[in-house]
Amino acid sequence: MTSRTDAPEGFLSIRSLTKRYGDFVAVDNLDLEVPKGELVAFLGPSGCGKTTSLRMIAGLVPATSGRIVVGGGDLTEVATHRRDMGLVFQSYALFPHMSVARNVAFGLEMRKVDKGEIAKRVKEAIALVHLTGKEEHRPAQLSGGQQQRVALARALVIRPSILLLDEPLSNLDAKLRDEMRNEIRDIQKRLGITAIFVTHDQVEALTMCDKVVVMNQGRLEQLGTPVELYETPKTAFVASFVGRSNRLTAVARNGAAEFAGQRIAAPAGLEGPVQVMIRPHRLGLSPASPAAADPARQQVTGTVARAIFAGDILQYDVDVGGQIVSVELATRGGESVIEPGRPVTLSWRPQDIFIYGAAA
Amino acid sequence: MSAVAPAAAMPAPLPAAERSSGLPLVVLLLLPIALVNAFGFLAPVFNLLRMSFYESQATGAMVEVYTFATWASVLRDSFYAELILNSILVSLGITLMTLVCSYPIALYLHRSSGTWRTILLVLVISPLLTSAVVRTYGWVAILSENGLVNNALGAIGIAPLKLMFNKTGVVIGLTEILMPYMILALLAGFGRLDPRVEEAASTLGAPPWKVFRHIVVPLTMPGIALGSLLCFVLAVSSFITPKLLGGGRVFLLATEIYDQAIVTLNWPLAATLSILVLVIFGGALVLYTRALRAIM
Amino acid sequence: MDERPISPALKILACAMFIFLLAPLIVVVPISFSGDSYMMFPPSSWSTKWYPAIFADGKMVSAFWTSLLLAFVVTVLSLLIGLPAAYALVRLKPRGAEFLSSLFTAPLLLPTIVLGLAILIVFSGYGLLATFQGLVAAHLVVTLPYAIRVLSTALATLPIPVEEAAATLGASPLTVFRRVTLPMMRSGIVGTTALCFLVSFDEVVLSLFMTGPRISTLPVAMYHRVEQQADPLVAALSVLLVVLTLVVVLVVDRTSGLAKTFVK
Ligand SMILES: Nc1ncnc2c1ncn2[C@@H]1O[C@H](COP(=O)(O)OP(=O)(O)OP(=O)(O)O)[C@@H](O)[C@H]1O
Ligand SMILES: [Mg+2]
Repeated sequence: MTSRTDAPEGFLSIRSLTKRYGDFVAVDNLDLEVPKGELVAFLGPSGCGKTTSLRMIAGLVPATSGRIVVGGGDLTEVATHRRDMGLVFQSYALFPHMSVARNVAFGLEMRKVDKGEIAKRVKEAIALVHLTGKEEHRPAQLSGGQQQRVALARALVIRPSILLLDEPLSNLDAKLRDEMRNEIRDIQKRLGITAIFVTHDQVEALTMCDKVVVMNQGRLEQLGTPVELYETPKTAFVASFVGRSNRLTAVARNGAAEFAGQRIAAPAGLEGPVQVMIRPHRLGLSPASPAAADPARQQVTGTVARAIFAGDILQYDVDVGGQIVSVELATRGGESVIEPGRPVTLSWRPQDIFIYGAAA
Repeated sequence: MSAVAPAAAMPAPLPAAERSSGLPLVVLLLLPIALVNAFGFLAPVFNLLRMSFYESQATGAMVEVYTFATWASVLRDSFYAELILNSILVSLGITLMTLVCSYPIALYLHRSSGTWRTILLVLVISPLLTSAVVRTYGWVAILSENGLVNNALGAIGIAPLKLMFNKTGVVIGLTEILMPYMILALLAGFGRLDPRVEEAASTLGAPPWKVFRHIVVPLTMPGIALGSLLCFVLAVSSFITPKLLGGGRVFLLATEIYDQAIVTLNWPLAATLSILVLVIFGGALVLYTRALRAIM
Repeated sequence: MDERPISPALKILACAMFIFLLAPLIVVVPISFSGDSYMMFPPSSWSTKWYPAIFADGKMVSAFWTSLLLAFVVTVLSLLIGLPAAYALVRLKPRGAEFLSSLFTAPLLLPTIVLGLAILIVFSGYGLLATFQGLVAAHLVVTLPYAIRVLSTALATLPIPVEEAAATLGASPLTVFRRVTLPMMRSGIVGTTALCFLVSFDEVVLSLFMTGPRISTLPVAMYHRVEQQADPLVAALSVLLVVLTLVVVLVVDRTSGLAKTFVK
């Protein structure tokens, strides 16, 4: 994995961006380089500062400190309307008193593009989001998904240097959300737009984006590709926020943590109580006392506390030395459910387990 | 005198550029209204306070010396004591009448719905948008010697009643004039009146009038209090109707202020009486807040 | 809606009270067609002579034009002064914005008889009595609080993201205001216009203090007329005014919903 310092200078470059509201730090020293044409997700729980970061990039909220540079030009002090960024609001924020076509044309009119050109580009943009025929409708006459697409067309038609999307799909139903996800990704790829996509939905972040920024309490926890985040989460927060993880406790001594009698290699420098994380579906489960243990796998024994059959998966909650470990097994049909109270052996590959310092 | 509009609930973010030049812009935008407020409201009101301590002379001229003479004469003279008491009593009577006449309309409006309700609401509001002079004129047509009521009475052989140029006329006219305010205030306060609560009382065996007495009236008390405050305050200060329907024979604070200001040109006296009106307002407001606390 | 059924007693009572409420407005209609030379109800004969009589009465006609011009000027000024002020108070939120709002709407709390006297005394010192400018200034004192109140509410309920969207699309603050804020405030502006116009056109107490033999407004002229001789001419004039009011009300109702403007 490349370290952050030798990342190439991005097209959008955010340097030590900070926002304070009184004593409260909404965004804390955010550093980020976004190469041209990439779609980057801001992922984090509610209130972690995603919207605030986006609004600072768009110039809607003044930054307390830090710089925002696009294509080498410093925009930190530039007013919103001169930043040339397309922002898609969570609430769409369409102009209620204008038709779809007028909404889309607005940005071009502000840029004093000539009439013929405006008509042409508006038509294209509306076709791009599959809204041809709805040009003269008012926003109130459109469905949520259609309004969403108008908002997208309105932001795209100005060919912004950067496209900012603030949870644009959160008001849509599941089916429409899937469609729009693909549509946004397609359009972004096709037009080669540099974009930031704010979401608190990890599936959205992992499936759509080139890179994901995981934020927590105003700070950047980890930046990486979806695979990096999932396979090598740098912090306990990332491990539990991206995908699901069992969060167990153990004690580390001399470079190894001991968990239910099994020694697990721990990162250097960790001593005392630590957190052990492992994803439920990366665990294997077999009836007690395996005769031939796979040497490539580590294992512990426990007792089944609960068995839940959920169709696609069979979930066991296993009591291992007083801690409950969830295990998910894909069902194949015909397996028998192990009764609660029965001893079982859990196993895993060493690379699937992560150890972090104890939570503060 | 309706409730002040709610302020914006959300802090309003602004583009950075605008915020940095915020102060001078704010001042610039607020300057015109501040000027109107200062010259048309603050200065005149302050001046009015001062004026009540000036000395007036028989010629109508004023002397800019500070004296309690006007105040002393107003507070000592039994004519003014009676005037004040009269104004308060008449206004209380009007308020009560307005409440009694408005309550059925408000309750009816509260319980109706759809287009019919809108039409009725427009009918309630329309008089509010019509000049008090026009409506008072209508009352002259109804109450005067040759008016609707007396001609109707005459037709069935009853001697004409004296309905105008006395307190009766003023009370009838002002009651009607103030009804829209009362109805709107009552409606605003009827929000707490849930039909299910009334139904619950009925199922528990309460006859309709007991439901009204024990459920409806207590629940609508805040609206009643607000409407009453509004009407009392408007009655004390109304002038056109008492003047036209009272025909100079009904003496109230408001008409006296006008006469002193325009006819007698005794401005210090008019100013003093004005301040008394404001004092009565203050008293009504205090009573209202007390009443509201007792109800809630 | 599952409303409680309305009892017959309430229906009858409400109906009677409605008649009482509307009686003075209804009664002027037949009187305006009276053939008598003085007011009497019911009239002993009918005619339409009182309508042309209004236009033959020089005092009334000039008072009408004064009132119309006055209401127009006052309305325009109320919008020009009220709109920036409401914007500053709601959007720029200077320190003490709430105090300023209360101060600017305070004239409404003062009875017009007191306000009229106070203004009379001060304006007499500036030589503004019985002048058009004086009337404009006095009316502004009472129309501006309405303007501020209605416009502030209209502004405060606008979704701010829509304005922000316009800014990200390249609109300067002034353009945002002109192309987005203003059009979205349309119903508030129509409401303010109607309210200021009617308040000014109907205003009589302040005007009574401010007018004289040289200049008079229609309500003042009517007031003096009723005071001296309550003849059917006033009824005819009243009918015309009620019609005018109805027209204004209908226009407002078309654009913003009258009921909404008055009952929250
Ligand atoms: N104007 C403000 N004044 C004070 N605090 C604010 C302001 N705006 C945002 N905050 C705080 O900053 C923090 C970050 O807010 P932000 O809107 O960026 O969260 P978010 O990550 O977008 O959350 P969500 O997923 O819920 O949209 C929150 O705790 C919020 O309360
Ligand atoms: Mg957000």
